[in-house]
Amino acid sequence: MTNTLEIKQLSKQFQRNNILNDISFSLHKGEVLSIVGPSGSGKTTLLRILAGLEPPTGGSIVLSGKDITSQKANKRNISLVFQQPLLFPHMTVKENIEYGAKLVKKADKRKIHSLLEAIDLLEYQDYYPAEISGGQQQRVALARAMATEPAVILFDEPFSSLDPKLRKELRLWVRSFLEDRSITSIFVTHDTEEAMLMGDRIALFHDGRFQQIDESSTLYQTPANPFVANFLGGHIVLDEARYIPLRFCRLELPSDESFEKIEGMIKHRTFQHGQMIGHIHIHSLNQNISMPLSESNTQESVSLYLPGSEIRSFGGDAT
Amino acid sequence: MRHYKIRFYVLASFLFLFPALLLVLQSLSKTWRFQRGEGIRFQLDSFQVLLSDPNLWSATGWSITIGLLVLLINLVVGITTGKALTSLSFRGKSFIEAVMLAPILVPVLAIAIGLHLFMIRIGLADTALGVVLIHLVPTVPYSIKIFQNAYQQLGRSMLDQPVILGSNPWHQLVTIELPLMKPAIRSVTFLTIVISLSQYAITSIVGGGTIITLPMVFFPFLDTANASIMAAFSVWFAMIPFFLYMIVEALLWLLPYSKKMRRTTT
Repeated sequence: MTNTLEIKQLSKQFQRNNILNDISFSLHKGEVLSIVGPSGSGKTTLLRILAGLEPPTGGSIVLSGKDITSQKANKRNISLVFQQPLLFPHMTVKENIEYGAKLVKKADKRKIHSLLEAIDLLEYQDYYPAEISGGQQQRVALARAMATEPAVILFDEPFSSLDPKLRKELRLWVRSFLEDRSITSIFVTHDTEEAMLMGDRIALFHDGRFQQIDESSTLYQTPANPFVANFLGGHIVLDEARYIPLRFCRLELPSDESFEKIEGMIKHRTFQHGQMIGHIHIHSLNQNISMPLSESNTQESVSLYLPGSEIRSFGGDAT
Repeated sequence: MRHYKIRFYVLASFLFLFPALLLVLQSLSKTWRFQRGEGIRFQLDSFQVLLSDPNLWSATGWSITIGLLVLLINLVVGITTGKALTSLSFRGKSFIEAVMLAPILVPVLAIAIGLHLFMIRIGLADTALGVVLIHLVPTVPYSIKIFQNAYQQLGRSMLDQPVILGSNPWHQLVTIELPLMKPAIRSVTFLTIVISLSQYAITSIVGGGTIITLPMVFFPFLDTANASIMAAFSVWFAMIPFFLYMIVEALLWLLPYSKKMRRTTT
């Protein structure tokens, strides 16, 4: 399969700080890559470099077989959807969508009409951005990015300014929108759930490099290192080399197997999907975990029993 | 909401429209001594006196020409510098910003003689271009500050968005930046023209009597103490910024995406 986008050893330095360290990855046609990582890890900088808004310090960007590393942003066939919709307030919904398409001479009336239909805003085409809701504005921003028919669309946390309900609705809508049209895209977020929902693969970004790029199931089953396991949650990291998935941890003493025992303090109790969740602090490992509790569990301190057969090494099988 | 709107219109009419109407009324009538119970006696003598001044039309022409040139240069310098100061980050930026404001911190008169000598050396003394250049000193710092704030309000992402969609800098300026900075352009228009129009001392020093603008015609009338003539002259004076504002407003109307702001303005 031919790659739409190939990034080779991309690096970026601000003064003496390394923001990106020799990043390499590729995307094939129609693939959606979610990049997830803590705030301030350089995810947005990576997108800005791919879009051409900032130059890289080193490395190359190849789009559809052509090196575009030194190409200006307005000449690149890459679109970027920002955190805010950034619609032009003096233009109507339709004019906003047409803006980029006219510049690249791809403003076909039927295409604009079908995009308006796709975002379900045909009736609102003559409205100004101030007259439509936040979710509708973000949909217009997506249609505007689509109208230029880019080879790749980059999303920089496009739902972060929306309320949780709208965010849930819109990300499902965007996911199917991208899937239906086979649009190659990179989706940056700091929300792991959103990353899993949007991406075919997930890249965990930290310290200027990808800690692991895999499908979500692989990430959970075989995290590459303590950072991945900690960031995704669902594991107890025992040391630099070992971890155990939370689902194997027991609050009752197992009778039939060897185990390790660690002590924890229940800091909070919350409810999720009708199940009580205990938020436990493990002092010896300096970790916070969340796991289901039974209604009868009312104590402050708990003992966690970790079956030896389920303790695993990072990037490998069970020990 | 409606209540506030009415209150606003009443206050605005009382503070702005009413004094302007009084001025027009005074220019068209004899000095009105209302405290003696006298009524208004209409006349056109004050405008006849005004129009009899041989320098009036040429001074008006020079004032408009100089005002327009000063405005044009202010727009170019203000927009480019304002955008650079907003979008670029470099060492010594605060110092540069302070230097940009320096001309309004030092009274122009304090450096007028020095500037005049400089103008003589470069051959711009007693010329309209020299007057235009000297009028930039008290106006450009304001324009830079106004456009810098306007660009800051637009935000860096709003400036990046058209580039991402394939726009070149000129197209972006015309279709996005200028239409969104109309309030700033209007402010700069009024401020620049009114400041330029009001310069008496530096215009006469650098213009050397060759370039006669309206304040030079206006000042001798100050001796008359005739309220009607003064009012007529003030009306004439006020018409220039108003006229130039109308020209700028017409040009703004020609900008792309400017003609359809229907619902949002209601």
